[in-house]
Amino acid sequence: MKPQITGMLVAPAAALMFGVFVLPFLFLLVLSFWSQVPGSLGLDTSFTLANYVRIFGDSYYLGGLWTTLWLSGLVTLICLVLALPLSRWIVLRAGRAKGLIIGLSILPLVCGALLPTLGLVNLLSPLGFINGALKSMGVIQSSLPLLGNITGVTIGLVQAFLPLMILPLITTMERLSQDYEKAATSLGARPVVVWQRILLPLLLPGIVAGSLLVFCASLTAFVTPQVLGQGKVVTFASLAYQQAALVLDWPFASALAIVMLIFLTLAGVLGALVTRNFGRVA
Amino acid sequence: MRTRLSDALSLVVVLTILLFILAPILVLIFSAFDGGNIFRFPPRFYSLRWFEAALNHPEYRSSLWISTLLGVISTLIAVTLASLAAFGLVRGRPRYGLALEVLLLAPLTLPLVVWAIALLSIYAELGMNGTLPGLILAHVTITLPFAARIMIATFKEIDPRLEAAAKSLGAPPSAVLRRITLPLALPGLLSSTAIAFLVSFNDVVVTTLIAGAGWITFPVRTFSRLRTEGIDPTTIAIGAMIVVFTIVLIVVGQRLFQLSRRL
Amino acid sequence: MKRIACFAAVAVGGLFACLPAMAQDYSGHTLTVGTWGGDIERLLREHVAGPLEAETGAKVEFLLGGSGDRLSKMAAERNNPTMDVTFQNIYEAPLALKDGLVVAPDAAAVPNAADVWPGMNEGCYAMSLVGLGIAYSKSLFPEEPEWADLWQPQFRGMMAYAPYPSSEGDGMLAVAARVAGADEHDPDAAFAKLAELGAPKLTYSSLDEVLSLMDAGEIAAAPMISGYVISNLANYEGIGFVFPKDPGPVLVRDMVCQVANSPEPELAQMFIDLAIGIDTQTAYAKELNFGPTNSKVALTEAEAANVINTPEEVASLLQMDWPYVIEQRSAWTDRWNKEILGQ
Repeated sequence: MKPQITGMLVAPAAALMFGVFVLPFLFLLVLSFWSQVPGSLGLDTSFTLANYVRIFGDSYYLGGLWTTLWLSGLVTLICLVLALPLSRWIVLRAGRAKGLIIGLSILPLVCGALLPTLGLVNLLSPLGFINGALKSMGVIQSSLPLLGNITGVTIGLVQAFLPLMILPLITTMERLSQDYEKAATSLGARPVVVWQRILLPLLLPGIVAGSLLVFCASLTAFVTPQVLGQGKVVTFASLAYQQAALVLDWPFASALAIVMLIFLTLAGVLGALVTRNFGRVA
Repeated sequence: MRTRLSDALSLVVVLTILLFILAPILVLIFSAFDGGNIFRFPPRFYSLRWFEAALNHPEYRSSLWISTLLGVISTLIAVTLASLAAFGLVRGRPRYGLALEVLLLAPLTLPLVVWAIALLSIYAELGMNGTLPGLILAHVTITLPFAARIMIATFKEIDPRLEAAAKSLGAPPSAVLRRITLPLALPGLLSSTAIAFLVSFNDVVVTTLIAGAGWITFPVRTFSRLRTEGIDPTTIAIGAMIVVFTIVLIVVGQRLFQLSRRL
Repeated sequence: MKRIACFAAVAVGGLFACLPAMAQDYSGHTLTVGTWGGDIERLLREHVAGPLEAETGAKVEFLLGGSGDRLSKMAAERNNPTMDVTFQNIYEAPLALKDGLVVAPDAAAVPNAADVWPGMNEGCYAMSLVGLGIAYSKSLFPEEPEWADLWQPQFRGMMAYAPYPSSEGDGMLAVAARVAGADEHDPDAAFAKLAELGAPKLTYSSLDEVLSLMDAGEIAAAPMISGYVISNLANYEGIGFVFPKDPGPVLVRDMVCQVANSPEPELAQMFIDLAIGIDTQTAYAKELNFGPTNSKVALTEAEAANVINTPEEVASLLQMDWPYVIEQRSAWTDRWNKEILGQ
């Protein structure tokens, strides 16, 4: 493809991102070096590092960012483990029910964050369905704490964002010929080897796409962690929301976002290195 | 024998995962039939009053319509731009491809509330605050990354040799696109469209800050009373109806698609 | 004959008297009002927007969201506002006035402002009076609790709070300080005392969450604002609400503001005038249990029971030093996160 044509194809999206995303982002970057006048909505525009000093000097904020990073990683991993067999089953076995099953599996996205989260609160609460069922079966004596902690938030995020993993995986699996797998199996490869050597490398674009979407969505999710964490799980999005919309300290909120972006870049570089090595091994 | 066992086993696994995905939504649907004034599960007595309320509520109706309209427009723009860009990035392999890929994904990494405040400040300087174009641009920006990421994966899976073969056999570029590339990209396009529409349809944070008064979407309306009054059971009934509508749409859509292929 | 002429003169005179209000035809104009969704939007449509549209020919549109969203919006678009009228809470109104985001109350432009209880139009026009009281689980508190009763050891860790910062959170800090024998100007005392209640079991983002857990006895009590909670008591048999006496409930007020430099200042003033007028104020009291700020509103004894509506009642309320609290916002948010939630 000629570079000019490539340029014409990419330019509209890139221009949009630049105008509507990068420009406000640059504004945030500048803002993060300003400060809020206490007791006022006004901004003090003299240069200061105070916001960054406050974040890096306080284990509370660093801890919140760190929790969010590994929580998002965990959610991504669980989504991947659940979505791989489900997507594969949908593509190969679902037959005429395929549309219906795909539809059912993306329903969490359909209802938005709030309604399924409220449903989950009902299922997970100390008096809820799950604890009630486990108690009546005699599995547990007292209620398991499934709300107001990382467990609840993880369950909620996985439930909410599984569709973001399933759809890209199905998309790439549709394109994947079953012949590879049959050939490998007929040559005596065990299923584990088939997955490891044949399927996973071929599915890599879908896995990367789904993982990135789930990871980023968990990173910035606000409603689900807030409701299922009951205010006790400190996440990046809840900190940013508190500072931006309730304290109205925009410079500090901007600094939080920038620090998270720095962490992400580091994680991204690390991830790229790992993926590259994985690609070589495969 | 062994395959039958593993078939049964994989069916159990799949049904368990589906149950996990659907359980909260089933709660939602059941509680929509509760006759009480508050959200609760299990329902104590059954009634259709909230469905009636949903159908007779002009504000909810107009909000749903606005959400749909906004979702359709933003999705069309986002998926088109994302597909073009993804095709260019995958096939053209431009020099700063990775940087561009990151740029197209970047809006997903900022908490939307912080970005929306910055965007609103810029809109206000340009006189674009409260306008429909401003709102659509914001929605395209938050939906495009999803579409772009999926379309990049889609085009990476399509063997460029198929296109080259068609071309070498004398097919004009438009025919290659129509007969080879688009059909192969169709699952990706459908996935991107679904995700982009749903992200736009359900957004609260950005829309609350960016939308003008004439553009109060359904989720914004739902959240604007959450803290003070709690969830409106009417909202739950509407949610249940949306769920059923989606399933019907998908099943019917698939049937029609299969029929059209047979013709 | 003379009498008829006189009658006609009075009629014409009466018409002229009405004219200043309808001096202009506003058809084609749109007034944008930022407010909460739900019952408030409904009442404002019925009692304010409807009559205003009928009288002026203008169209009233509501921009729905939380009051924090609106304050952010006003600040972000301060040079080019889209809202004409906005509803804010007690501490946001003076802040907005100080920063020039809203127009100071003016009884010359908004006649009903003169009937508002003296001293209440702080920053913006006072819309409704509510108090921070105690919502409690009846199974755990057989009798109406006082603030101090919340500190009984068996209730440690069984409170629920609204997300901080909020008037509920700051109000509870002011109460804790007084229970400890100080006031909100001594934050160390306030936070130390409040920390004794333990980390809250729940920070709620919707009213149902806290009320359903309280109904089940999982949550003992929560500092909550009267009005919606009182309206909800009928749905939850196990929940009570009380205005304590020592100290009294914390005064919380909703305010209605005219946005500075807004496109439709006259319509905004007419809207506010209707909002703080007798009809709307009475409807707020009857349907939402929100206390009227208009001194001319007359309520029956039954209607007045759940409502703060007299100067004496207002005097019994705890009034906080909000300007001081707002200056502490950033520091207190850190302390709340760590010393209350993270303990």
